[in-house]
Amino acid sequence: MDLALSETQQLVRDAVRDYLARAVPFDRVREVERSGRHDEQLWAALHEQGWLGLALPEEAGGGGGTCTDLAILLEELSRRAVIVPVMETLAAARVIEHGAAGAKDILAAILAGKAIVTPALLEESDRFDDIKAAVRDGKLSGEKYFVDYGQVATHHLVAATRDGDIELFLVDASGPGVTIEPLRSIGRTPTARVTYDGAAATPVCGADGHRALVQLGRALAAVQCLGCAQQALDMTVEYVSQRVQFGQPIGAFQAVQHHCANMATLVEATRFLVYEAVAAIDSGAATERQIAIAKACASRAVSEVTTMAHQLHGGIGIVEEYDLYFFSLRGKERALAWGSAEECLAIVAKHIEEPEDWLPMGEAAAAGRPE
Amino acid sequence: MDFGWEQTYRDFREEVRALVRKHHTPELQRERDQAGETRRGPLLDAFRDELEQRGWLRMCWPKEYGGDGKSPWYQFVLIEELEYWGLPYGSLSVTSVMPAIMAFGTEEQKAKYLPAIWKGEVSFAIGYTEPNAGTDLASLQTRAVRDGDDWVINGQKIFTSEAHVSTHIWLAARTDPDAPKHKGISMFIVPRDAPGVTITPMYTMSGLRTNQTYYDNVRVPKDALVGEENRGWYITTHALNHERVGLAPTGGLARNFDLLIAYLREKRPAQIEDGAVRLRLAEMQMELHMQRALATKNGWIIASGGTPTGEASMAKVWSSELRYRMHSLAMDLLGRFGGLSRDSGDAAPLNGRLEANYRSAPILRFGGGTNEVQRTLIALRGLGLPR
Repeated sequence: MDLALSETQQLVRDAVRDYLARAVPFDRVREVERSGRHDEQLWAALHEQGWLGLALPEEAGGGGGTCTDLAILLEELSRRAVIVPVMETLAAARVIEHGAAGAKDILAAILAGKAIVTPALLEESDRFDDIKAAVRDGKLSGEKYFVDYGQVATHHLVAATRDGDIELFLVDASGPGVTIEPLRSIGRTPTARVTYDGAAATPVCGADGHRALVQLGRALAAVQCLGCAQQALDMTVEYVSQRVQFGQPIGAFQAVQHHCANMATLVEATRFLVYEAVAAIDSGAATERQIAIAKACASRAVSEVTTMAHQLHGGIGIVEEYDLYFFSLRGKERALAWGSAEECLAIVAKHIEEPEDWLPMGEAAAAGRPE
Repeated sequence: MDFGWEQTYRDFREEVRALVRKHHTPELQRERDQAGETRRGPLLDAFRDELEQRGWLRMCWPKEYGGDGKSPWYQFVLIEELEYWGLPYGSLSVTSVMPAIMAFGTEEQKAKYLPAIWKGEVSFAIGYTEPNAGTDLASLQTRAVRDGDDWVINGQKIFTSEAHVSTHIWLAARTDPDAPKHKGISMFIVPRDAPGVTITPMYTMSGLRTNQTYYDNVRVPKDALVGEENRGWYITTHALNHERVGLAPTGGLARNFDLLIAYLREKRPAQIEDGAVRLRLAEMQMELHMQRALATKNGWIIASGGTPTGEASMAKVWSSELRYRMHSLAMDLLGRFGGLSRDSGDAAPLNGRLEANYRSAPILRFGGGTNEVQRTLIALRGLGLPR
């Protein structure tokens, strides 16, 4: 048990943080938001710096990064509110890596900065396990919702059934039979509804891969929630420390202090549970319940923390030229993405009668149950 | 970053569980339920003796103080496990006073008190609060005056819980009335049977007895002073930080959650199938995990050689408020049955634990420093907000 980042992880975190603070002014983030596209300049830079490859396993040609390494990168990206499909592409890559040989060529293209891959899982039902899209004779037909960065991706990793079972297929987003219609979500990052009408589909993996992708995406979306919540907390602490009313910084008022304390407590608990869940994916010990608990906690926390951040900022916090809205709006979208708090708690509820080890040490949980 | 537990801690937990299985009999549970705040009885004492024989309460202390120099994680694992099973381990004497004597006591005091604490021969009641010094603890008025080689103590303490079943009182008294209020306090170890100490009971709605203690020309030798004269405030702060961590284990809450699920499965099968009920239980489980997260973070800070400050307060606030939320909700789910006490026999769910916890839950929200003070500490020390 060691909650500190390794030296290398600290170096990467600081390097990414410094780079983003220097290279991506918030005004550029606003421009990218308005464009409805992603930050191509930053995407290229992340590739040049080797950070994309670093967060990929060696078998995939990357730097041997774990999910934890990826989470550290994602937290920093979230704290700068940048608009790049890192989470989507790298989550997809981690699944493709274990998939069919025929689909693996795309990994080299990702590493070369030439491909952007995004998962296309949800449909009108908004449920990961309710899939109507189907592949027949190598052709995909169906309609997908919430294909994040679908309009800028070169490829989509699509959940569809073949002979009744859910599988993942790789689809060229610029190929025939693919129609992309942008949706405008509260997070102001690109997302789309995509119609596939006989699009060519390459098999990647079966239901296990699909499940693994949902779990990984959920854990990483929790990291994004955490990044937004942490940044909103830090901005609030800074703001209330210098904003003077009634002749003193408002941060000296106990009512304000207590809100900040509640926010910090939520962030602290969330940070532990989220990184614990990501680490469990790395060690192969993650359960559906554990990841759902982490995401439910992160989703609730980011909504609460950013709302209180607005409360303590007052009027200035809602102004478009002020940077707080990035984190409240992106944060809420990430809270909904890959399983909202309600959806995740429903998963926890499903498992509620199963024994659990309260000091999880990776052994048979039932040993801790009362007799 | 590593959230895994090394094999040595897993093995240790198995050892603890083996000891628990040996002692945690229905007879011991009955004895415990009847013992109340004394936590004494033949079976409980036998358990405590075996805990001492194994040296588990002192295994994390340096070898020169009778310990085994082990990582504080062992104590974390031990206390979480014993809390889960509701078995006694010396509570505040071990988690709060012992660390303070270790940090501030003289070599003689360490030699005299530390072995006695872990053997259970010496136990402490905490004598901080006074009728006019609650949350504003530093305004306490109990006086200690130097007289030759002795100190003479006069004053009154309130909520001196466990004073009637302890051997000593860990007492904060004013030694310099002219200094600023935080800088005129010293810490003393006062034997409960010292002439001039009077204890009167106060019975609380939690079912636990607490006390008022009176000090009328109580004479203690100069080595009853712990740490430097007039530096007592720093010692209480240190002890309170450790106490807060000790106040926030997950084990006891987790056990009641497990027992609630087991009860619903057995007695209310239709209710536990209800999606609305399950969702509320799921939320409770998530909040328990948040508690575990905060408690483990504190454990890590201590195991890394630090002293938690803001983090200790976070765990204290969360666990005490969760204790209320969790038991109140559990009672709501069980309706009138949720309000039945242990005296109702087999009609009482969870042997009356729910209503008993509901009655004692308020204590933890104000005890050990009110949650309002804790939130202020999180803001000032944890976040660096202005005063």
